[in-house]
Amino acid sequence: MIKENDSLPLLSGKQYWKSLDELAETPEFRSWVDKEFPEGAELLDNVQRRGFLKTMAASFGLAGLGMSGCRRPEHTILPYGKSPEELIPGIPSFYATSRPTPFGFLPLIAESHQGRPTKIEGNPSFTIAGGSTDIYSQASVLDLYDPDRSRGSFSREILRKGDESSVRWKKLSSAKLASEISNWSDSGGLAIITDSADSLLRNELIENLVSTGVKHLEYEAIDPHLPEKTLASSLGVAENLRLIPQLHKAKKVLSLDCDFLGNREPNSTVNSRQFMSGRKVLSASDASKMNRLYAVESDLTLTGGVADHRLRLPSSRMEAFAALFYAEILKLQKSKDSNLISHLLKIGGDSEFDRKWISECAKDLLSKSQNSVVLPGLHQNKNLHLLAFAINQSLGSIGTCVTYLPVSKRSSYSFEDLAIDVKEKRISSILVLGGNPVYNCPNSGLQDLLSKVENSAHLGQSIDETSLHCKLHIGQSHFLESWDLGYSWDQSCITPVQPLIAPLYDTISDIELLAAVNKNTSSSHDLVVAAYNNLSNTDVAFDDFLRIGIHKIKQSFKTVFPDTSPFLQKLKPANLQLDESSLEVLLTPDFHTWDGRFSNNGWMLECPDPISKLTWDNALLVSPVFAKHLESKYPGLGLLPKPTMLNKSGQIAPDAAVFDDGKQKAPIVTIQVGSDHSITGPVYVQPGLADFTIVASLGFGRKHTGRIGNDLGYNASSLTHFGQSRILTNASCVPTGEFKTLANVQEHWSMEGRAIVREANAAEYQSDTSFAHHMGAESHSPPIYGKDLDKDLVFKSQTTPRGNSSYEHPDHNHEKSEEHGLHQWGMSIDLNQCTGCSACVVACQSENNIPVVGKDQVLRGREMHWIRLDRYFSSTQRDGAELPSDVQVSFQGVACMHCETAPCETVCPVNATVHDEEGLNAMAYNRCVGTRYCANNCPYKVRRFNFFDWNKRKTDELYEGPLGDENEPVTAMGKNPDVTVRMRGVMEKCTYCTQRIQESKIRTKIKAQRQKTLKTGNDGKDLILERDELKVADGGIKTACQQVCPTDAIVFGDISDPTSEVSKLKSNPRDYSVLGYLNTRPRTTFLAKVRNPNPRMPDHAVSPHSAREYHDKAHPSHHDEEHSSPH
Amino acid sequence: MRNLFPRWSNTIPLKFIIALGLLGGAVVAAITYYATPKYTRVGYQPTQPVPYDHSFHAGQLGLDCRYCHHGVEKSSHANIPSANVCMSCHKNVKADSPLLEVVRQSYFGEDSNRDGKLSEDEDLNGDGLLTEGPAVPWVRIHKAPDYVYFNHAIHVNRGVSCVECHGRIDEMEEVYHAKHLSMSFCLECHRNPEKALRPTSEVTNLAWSVKADPDEDPDLAQIHAGLELKNNWGVNPPLSCTGCHR
Repeated sequence: MIKENDSLPLLSGKQYWKSLDELAETPEFRSWVDKEFPEGAELLDNVQRRGFLKTMAASFGLAGLGMSGCRRPEHTILPYGKSPEELIPGIPSFYATSRPTPFGFLPLIAESHQGRPTKIEGNPSFTIAGGSTDIYSQASVLDLYDPDRSRGSFSREILRKGDESSVRWKKLSSAKLASEISNWSDSGGLAIITDSADSLLRNELIENLVSTGVKHLEYEAIDPHLPEKTLASSLGVAENLRLIPQLHKAKKVLSLDCDFLGNREPNSTVNSRQFMSGRKVLSASDASKMNRLYAVESDLTLTGGVADHRLRLPSSRMEAFAALFYAEILKLQKSKDSNLISHLLKIGGDSEFDRKWISECAKDLLSKSQNSVVLPGLHQNKNLHLLAFAINQSLGSIGTCVTYLPVSKRSSYSFEDLAIDVKEKRISSILVLGGNPVYNCPNSGLQDLLSKVENSAHLGQSIDETSLHCKLHIGQSHFLESWDLGYSWDQSCITPVQPLIAPLYDTISDIELLAAVNKNTSSSHDLVVAAYNNLSNTDVAFDDFLRIGIHKIKQSFKTVFPDTSPFLQKLKPANLQLDESSLEVLLTPDFHTWDGRFSNNGWMLECPDPISKLTWDNALLVSPVFAKHLESKYPGLGLLPKPTMLNKSGQIAPDAAVFDDGKQKAPIVTIQVGSDHSITGPVYVQPGLADFTIVASLGFGRKHTGRIGNDLGYNASSLTHFGQSRILTNASCVPTGEFKTLANVQEHWSMEGRAIVREANAAEYQSDTSFAHHMGAESHSPPIYGKDLDKDLVFKSQTTPRGNSSYEHPDHNHEKSEEHGLHQWGMSIDLNQCTGCSACVVACQSENNIPVVGKDQVLRGREMHWIRLDRYFSSTQRDGAELPSDVQVSFQGVACMHCETAPCETVCPVNATVHDEEGLNAMAYNRCVGTRYCANNCPYKVRRFNFFDWNKRKTDELYEGPLGDENEPVTAMGKNPDVTVRMRGVMEKCTYCTQRIQESKIRTKIKAQRQKTLKTGNDGKDLILERDELKVADGGIKTACQQVCPTDAIVFGDISDPTSEVSKLKSNPRDYSVLGYLNTRPRTTFLAKVRNPNPRMPDHAVSPHSAREYHDKAHPSHHDEEHSSPH
Repeated sequence: MRNLFPRWSNTIPLKFIIALGLLGGAVVAAITYYATPKYTRVGYQPTQPVPYDHSFHAGQLGLDCRYCHHGVEKSSHANIPSANVCMSCHKNVKADSPLLEVVRQSYFGEDSNRDGKLSEDEDLNGDGLLTEGPAVPWVRIHKAPDYVYFNHAIHVNRGVSCVECHGRIDEMEEVYHAKHLSMSFCLECHRNPEKALRPTSEVTNLAWSVKADPDEDPDLAQIHAGLELKNNWGVNPPLSCTGCHR
């Protein structure tokens, strides 16, 4: 029997919560939020403390010995023999380059300090992305300095000692190996296995080889080309058809399992930018023009989080849903093709779908038919892609907001073909060019083939699973070390890959290796130049092309298509029902590691998954309904929160089986798919999932990737099959009885359900644009600005109005007064634009030298991110019977708010955190003594403490203190030299990228002075510079998080300038301060979120769920009149 | 009962306190004197690999500072000149001086016959390029701590002369640390920039001083002239942490 969860109050259930535990007010959660510093250092157990004291004593002793070394150590400065052109020490250079991905080449700008690339930004010449990047590009620079990268080329030697054998790698010269490999094609058949980057140059080199009889196999764990291939074959079109949405033109979007804003679909940066531009709401009239997103999906994705209406549906039922939807569209269009309609209805079957949802959604899409688009998910089968195409065709949106680009066919050579060729001795050598197919496609049989062939080599960035099965491993250069030329995903431009640094180790790029196999002696640079010059319409010289980084090409979209109805008639109904014993498994690329390629990247591993907030692990996500089923079948699993329990002495007694040191232990289960395949991993309950869908992510469970990524998470790749759908059915789930602790940051830094994120529906917003001001405790208290309430922002930012306080603000002397500053910095974050992509988190980490702390420290709540993304769920379910399944998601980026009356400053005993004259809450690391009072007093919980020398010591030897090993020196190369690398014992936090502010101010002043001197010829007292000439122009400073944001949700600037972008946004009625009633007067304010639901939809609610919860809490007496039950 | 302690012992506490006070005072005085940059830095004069004479080059010959330290107007670093800057003159002047051997090695590197071209026997490391030699290991004299971000360009471009921090380099045969460059030194000037400001054309003229009337105090004249520059140029040096610490 399914047990009732009595911890959930029946009528006024908490609607707005961050985790299941918080919802249930479990003792663990209570004790967690009661602690200021979760799992602080003072909780070191005795043994550790003793060890620590011993270590300290030893280091003091050593310090005594070193007294003779009191003299300053001699430092040398080593200038060049011949200085390179255009290089001025201290000034970074910026180069256009791009990152090859399965989703095309992403145009980038890389920042280089004296030849060391340190930061990646988007290339602003790629205008559709507007200079923004995705999270993976931000993190990719860390891979360059990965100490576990292969540092050359090796041959594998197997040493046998009795029964045991071990592998030894013998170092060889990469160039010599390449020339050796070039002979392979002469001595017998050669097969090349590559991943699927759209490289112009590589395709050309491979084509040359293929014409000489070399076989080319292309694989990708997350195959981006499957839909384009299957759609073309369904329609009988010669070329592949790639769907390129034009979402800036879209008014109504229906996503069918398509996470077009997230990491699972191509071009997410461009999609996010284009789609969210239709949701910018600055006035009531904008709200009527807002676009609307319907998401039908099985997993809760970022797209589902943004959606105005979201329907949970198993991925395997998506086809039936689409058929019914198309039938509805045809009916509404009064189509005469009744055969097709009845066939579609048959495919849809008598399924359980909400017909009203379908019909109202269809009506809404038809109301703007040319600007409505249906997007099918990449992992979906070919029938869904055909149906989506047919719907788009009948909506008439092809050519407006959705386009189909004919692209060339990919190699059709498969692993089966390769197996036959190897068996019949037609292939004697296999060259794996990049990627990691043995890990990604374990069912391909490649492992055996590699052992059967005479020669095998793997070109890869580290010695991985594939290398272990090859005789040779060749170190691959990072993209920041190589030359290449490739297409962007939408094929609107060709972009170069330009090296910023000579290879750090003896490695070669795929192009160099292929050129060697081609017996082409040109350098990869010359090949790129030649390939560029061979392009048509290159009126720009190569050097200028490198400078711009973009060569635009005309996209020729296909406009004429065959009628789809005959193809649709061939579809067969596939009515399968899911239940507890017949589950569906959806395989997705993992947020952290994607398909495993970022599995040794600390930034990616530690960046919390935006929805589940897990770090350092992947989990099998299950729905609350299925969790309940599991728990009733296997009592003691502890998947769902338990009611508060006190033991006899009145202390909280958490269920010891489920909680380990206050951390939730996740039960490990085995998922059996069919009879052959199973995976084992920890379960995590995720609201928003379709009831009987289990989401498993690929890319974890690596055995050979590096010291950081080995043995993290579980490996789901055994369920994948090359070229097949990533939706599996007929799965079952059995607990193994074991548990695993997951490092979840979800419950950290809770804001306890106050009016933190403020939301309204578009209709509410139109009638009351300043709804955000009527929420929160400050709307009930006397205004904090008192008589100065109506003064403008300029006045408020340049003075500290006393407001209603009887306390007189200290009269700052001239040095410190706000008037002294030329600018007053402030930030505005538009919650309506944030999709939760988390790129800002990693961008900040890269810009500000933020350390990675490791899973163990994350479990202690010591993650160091300066900006975090709080994810809140809210739901309508009010009966309290079970955990909510249908949730609304709200994201809020929280970094230091730079409060004008900052609580952290008043408690610092050494004045290490004080205000500067431009309104920044400064943090002087060299003054900080680490009392952590400031963090205790910060209401936003944005201060981060260096419990260890994270930058200096290895993560697994932190507790050894000064006796632990230091990090490899190569990791220091990637640090930003403009930002202090903090040491143990100091507090740190967001600085509004003060290094960028200072740099821009300096540039502006120098430029003003020099230009005026040149213009007037005066350089003395006759030279007059006005205040405005010394000010940084609006938009002249972009913080790292702002620069990376694809949707421009973050705006930074001078709030003492009423014409600046940020001032305009702050004077918008949607602007509000988080915890404003504390009179902290934060400089970072938020623009309230506006949702745009369709009033006719069955799941429509007048207010967003979170707003309802706020009103229920703020006006409990009105509860019954205002809000009767939902719907 | 007999007194246990003799009479003189009554003064012991007082003596002890006085001694402690004296000792404490001595420690404070010693730290103030010996452990501050005024003592630890000023006068630091390491031996350089090449006995480059600033008083000859910058003083007698009149080479502008920026000829060698060319990054000073653009970058935070004033840069130490690369060997090619030295060689632009010393290819011809004193071309064979043994004192310049280190510089020549750094400049020519693999180019052993010094013809500017790569001959077959010259490519020692086999990279097909004319590789430069080892860098001249100049010893750093002025060093800001790692957490201080000093920017040369903004000072030089806004009328703060090199002499303010580095002293009369044009009179030094071998450069030494002339000023203490502690945080109080920085703040002193940031609080009262008028004492240091001069027309930008005179920034590298280390001998410059403001033209004062014979009966006027030259320091006062500088303050008057500096104040004018400060107001007209809008010079507003930062006084808070973020100005230098990031």
